[in-house]
Amino acid sequence: MSTLTCDCRSPQEQRLQDKIAGKEDKFRKTHGRVFKLLERFEGQKPRIDIERALYFTESMKETEGQPLVLRWAKALMHIAKNMTVYVQEDQLLLGRAGCDGRYGILYPELDGDFLDIAVRDLPTRATSPASITPEDAKRVINDIAPYWKGKTFHEDLNRSLPPDVHKLTYDDPEGLISRFIVNETASFRSSIQWVHDYGKILKRGFNGIKKEAEEKLAALDPLSCKDNCEKRPFLEAVIIVCDAIVLWAKRHAEKAREAAAQEKDPQRKAELLRMAENAEHVPGEPARDFWEACQSQWFTQMFSRIEQKTGTTISNGRMDQYFYPYYQADKKAGKITDAQAMELLECMWVGMAEFIDMYISPTGGAFNEGYAHWEAVTVGGQTPDGRDASNDLTYIILKSKREFPLHYPDLAARIHSRAPERYLWDVAETIKYGSGFPKLINDEEVVPLYVSKGATFEEALDYAVSGCTEARMPNRDTYTSGGAYINFAAAVEMVLRNGRMKKYGDQVLGIETGDPRKFTTWEEFWNAYKAQHMLFLKTAFHQQYIINKLRAKHFAQPMGSAMHDLCMKHCIDLHQEQIPEGINFGYFEYMGLGTVVDSLCAVKKLVFEEKKLTMDKLIEAIDANFEGYDDVKALLKSAPCYGNNDPYADAIGREIDKISVEYGGKYSMKDLGIHNDVRYVPFTSHVPFGKVVSATPNGRTDGFPLSDGSSASHGADVNGPTAVLLSNYNTKNMGMRDRAARMLNIKFTPKCVEGEQGTEKLVSFIRTFCDLKLWHVQFNVLNKDTLLAAQKDPQKYRNLIVRIAGYSAYFVDLSPDLQNDLIARTEHAVM
Amino acid sequence: MSENDAQKQGMVFNVQKYSVHDGPGIRTIVFLKGCALSCRWCSNPESQHRQPELAYNAGRCLGVSKCGHCIVACPFGSIRLGERDLPIIDRSHCDACQSKSCAEACPAQSLLIYGKQRTVEDVLGVVEQDMPFYARSGGGLTLSGGEPLLQGEFALALLREAHVRRIKTAVETCGMAPSETLREAAQYLNTVLFDIKHLDSEIHEAQTGVANKHILDNFRILVEEFPDLPLLARTPIIPGFNDHGKVIAAIATFLKPFERVEYEMLPYHRLGTQKYEFLGRKPPMGAVQLQPQKMQALQKIAVHILGERVRIPH
Repeated sequence: MSTLTCDCRSPQEQRLQDKIAGKEDKFRKTHGRVFKLLERFEGQKPRIDIERALYFTESMKETEGQPLVLRWAKALMHIAKNMTVYVQEDQLLLGRAGCDGRYGILYPELDGDFLDIAVRDLPTRATSPASITPEDAKRVINDIAPYWKGKTFHEDLNRSLPPDVHKLTYDDPEGLISRFIVNETASFRSSIQWVHDYGKILKRGFNGIKKEAEEKLAALDPLSCKDNCEKRPFLEAVIIVCDAIVLWAKRHAEKAREAAAQEKDPQRKAELLRMAENAEHVPGEPARDFWEACQSQWFTQMFSRIEQKTGTTISNGRMDQYFYPYYQADKKAGKITDAQAMELLECMWVGMAEFIDMYISPTGGAFNEGYAHWEAVTVGGQTPDGRDASNDLTYIILKSKREFPLHYPDLAARIHSRAPERYLWDVAETIKYGSGFPKLINDEEVVPLYVSKGATFEEALDYAVSGCTEARMPNRDTYTSGGAYINFAAAVEMVLRNGRMKKYGDQVLGIETGDPRKFTTWEEFWNAYKAQHMLFLKTAFHQQYIINKLRAKHFAQPMGSAMHDLCMKHCIDLHQEQIPEGINFGYFEYMGLGTVVDSLCAVKKLVFEEKKLTMDKLIEAIDANFEGYDDVKALLKSAPCYGNNDPYADAIGREIDKISVEYGGKYSMKDLGIHNDVRYVPFTSHVPFGKVVSATPNGRTDGFPLSDGSSASHGADVNGPTAVLLSNYNTKNMGMRDRAARMLNIKFTPKCVEGEQGTEKLVSFIRTFCDLKLWHVQFNVLNKDTLLAAQKDPQKYRNLIVRIAGYSAYFVDLSPDLQNDLIARTEHAVM
Repeated sequence: MSENDAQKQGMVFNVQKYSVHDGPGIRTIVFLKGCALSCRWCSNPESQHRQPELAYNAGRCLGVSKCGHCIVACPFGSIRLGERDLPIIDRSHCDACQSKSCAEACPAQSLLIYGKQRTVEDVLGVVEQDMPFYARSGGGLTLSGGEPLLQGEFALALLREAHVRRIKTAVETCGMAPSETLREAAQYLNTVLFDIKHLDSEIHEAQTGVANKHILDNFRILVEEFPDLPLLARTPIIPGFNDHGKVIAAIATFLKPFERVEYEMLPYHRLGTQKYEFLGRKPPMGAVQLQPQKMQALQKIAVHILGERVRIPH
């Protein structure tokens, strides 16, 4: 049984996973090829491959002054011609964006102004380090970085923010250090996470798209300046980029034939020749069988990563849907077994495990600790006409998730009210396997919300999960820059310190809402919080307004646009601020819901209602970081908390959600022209955001992480997992539209879900999650190591449920003696 | 009837959500205080007495030098500084539950009162919060204790009102309750978990404080008069009391003719130990443990006699 978190992985959990992967050789026999592939790079520190950045920069130097979309396409062609191509031993698929092993590539157009610092610091930094050879480092410093100085998106953004916005965004004039108050995320990725319509490529091939572009080009009005200035360069770019990816694929074919000529083993020789044949045919032409379909998808995915750093890598979309016709035909023809289909998929998983989505900036690194991977594969859900979509391939992918020994790729299972029992049992069994997969996304929440925001039912029913918790409709919604991550725990601190923060001394960052010691009612305190809250929101929207306008000046994506129906129809690049007929789903992030709700509850109840504590004493205790104020800290922790289905706390949570949703509803479409909606999905960023916030009235100490997503504060949810779900439900404003994703983590021990009965109860739990229309949930099924950690640090593990003998109990409530007893027994419980 | 029931009061010491091991589906257990038995192995010592009791968990205590609010709060002066900076309670001069001053003053929830007078309305309000989970899992309310049927009027009011609100119900009973209460309760119950600890009445009396005749009579009433009521007989396996092949064989043989009754054995655990300490009592069982091999051997004996009617717990 392994430990797991899904999206938000700490380095420690990563190590745990790796160790377990080493042990888990029980599937070695049936997965021999992938194990061999994996062992070649296991434990490797990722290397930086500079070719992409080098050739991209070379080309961009040559094309200055031309339309951006055309420059981008030409740069991709230059890369396709020159980048080293690889044929890996034992691999069945071709296509990499860089060297053998674990690697990352650079996107200097995005954040090239940090490149020199990055090259210096990356190998040794604490979060997600990477290595680079001295020669490559020199080339980055001499040949790549200088060109981008003054030209990157990040620098432009830093220059464009007015002082009042800048001071809540950055801590330094260069904008290299985040304030972690109203944090911008637009500068470490070109847009939020994205999914391509891979199915279209499998069916039509890039040559099909090229043909469409050529026809459109021929049909342009030769006398129209708009057609000539805007549409022509776009269509030319599409044609170039289609040629580029086909050329790149054919170079792989050539390389594979060379390898085959030298190969002695007849079986491998045959494989290599077949691979060459595949690469000769796809992705230019439609795929003819499952292997070609996989190859076509993989070339597309990898070339797309070369094109640009969108979101947090490109997601895989609804794999069990778009691959199914090819799998089905091959099965029917007796061309493929399930084991072979799984092997091909796992060859892709390996490729994903090798590619590391590098975050160059320190802020980006802190957001994605432990080399986070987000290339979500979506399974299950409904067909565009609203029927259950699960099929044999769904079950093959779930099975692979239980047997493939690494946590790549991320897997998302769509859940709907009529999901078949078999599907939910398989999903539950996979969750129980303990790697935290799959995460669950709820059709009953996503589909109606997307319809209310303008999608058709068909489009909404066909959504694919993307990145952490997002849902995309690849031909309808459009690019949006990464939104602001807003530290609302800082808003609480600013109320207590009259617009200031302990970390930043006398500088007034927020609104001077007055000395809280003079507040006589809870309403005064709440209004002060609201004032800070609104300032943060206004700042975030102001940021976004500028970002949206800048994005189109810095980024173009001819390949991504070529795959998008609306871009092709209107001959417009995906990075333009408004795509006709498109729907633009942005978000802003509410950081620290649990921390804020619990803090406000404590103040309301203990200071203003029960008067057990004076504001003076509370501030004294907070200033002292509770040292010498243990009784105050304990008292604060006894106040009602979010995550317990406690109406007192949940009412405050719902009010906070409401003022956020209302603000978005009022200003996002009107001022920004996008759906900029409140979301609760922090990645791993609740850790760095916590570092800037001093002690809070929920008994949290200086610098401690904030609560994550829509989960409760650390250990505050002591009423069991049903209460966690219900609190989440209670704090939502179901009658309002301008809401986005909520992320929810739940922990179980393997014992809690043991056996068929355990699976059955987990299935009911998932069905109830679906009934409650919660957006997302993921499960931690924890093992012995976690129990040991819980013994050492019980405060963090207060809500860990363990099962022993006839009932369940909270682990930290047991005596050390019994805890040891349990630890020993849990090991026996390992499946 | 329903309105009256909703306002009835009883002594409750815990309401536990997300219970997945005592009855079908996802359940909420309501623990009622007071029991006619006094089993030495009881894992809920706070359930035995009917009256509220003061508990002190030293593990959560901040220490007198950092806190000391309890010493100031006690109206009887019964709490003073003891060893290791911890308070010491003079339980002979403490009415614990009448004034609640120390427990209310304690910020760390180190001092707390087991047992509170609550209404049916209040308790079912909490139970109903998890209705969405019962609906999907077939779960509901489980009454436990103590012996829940000893607070007859309250327990029946809870069950009747739960029936009106369409909450599925179960009871965990030791069987030592008035037969009339049991009969009425059975009309509103969906499942009964019935403890049969030992068939030898003398040994039963020696270790639990009561003979087993009334318990076995009650068991027969359920079997014979309520043929549609699912019934699970359960035996806690206690070292030195009933962890013998013969004892288990006798129980299984007793159950054999009642064909619809299922059977489950629960291994002894020591989770109640520290609660004895919280109450200022010595755990009567000491450090005794049940060996897993022994448990497995006893399972085999039961399966040999009852076949698939034996549920193997995890």
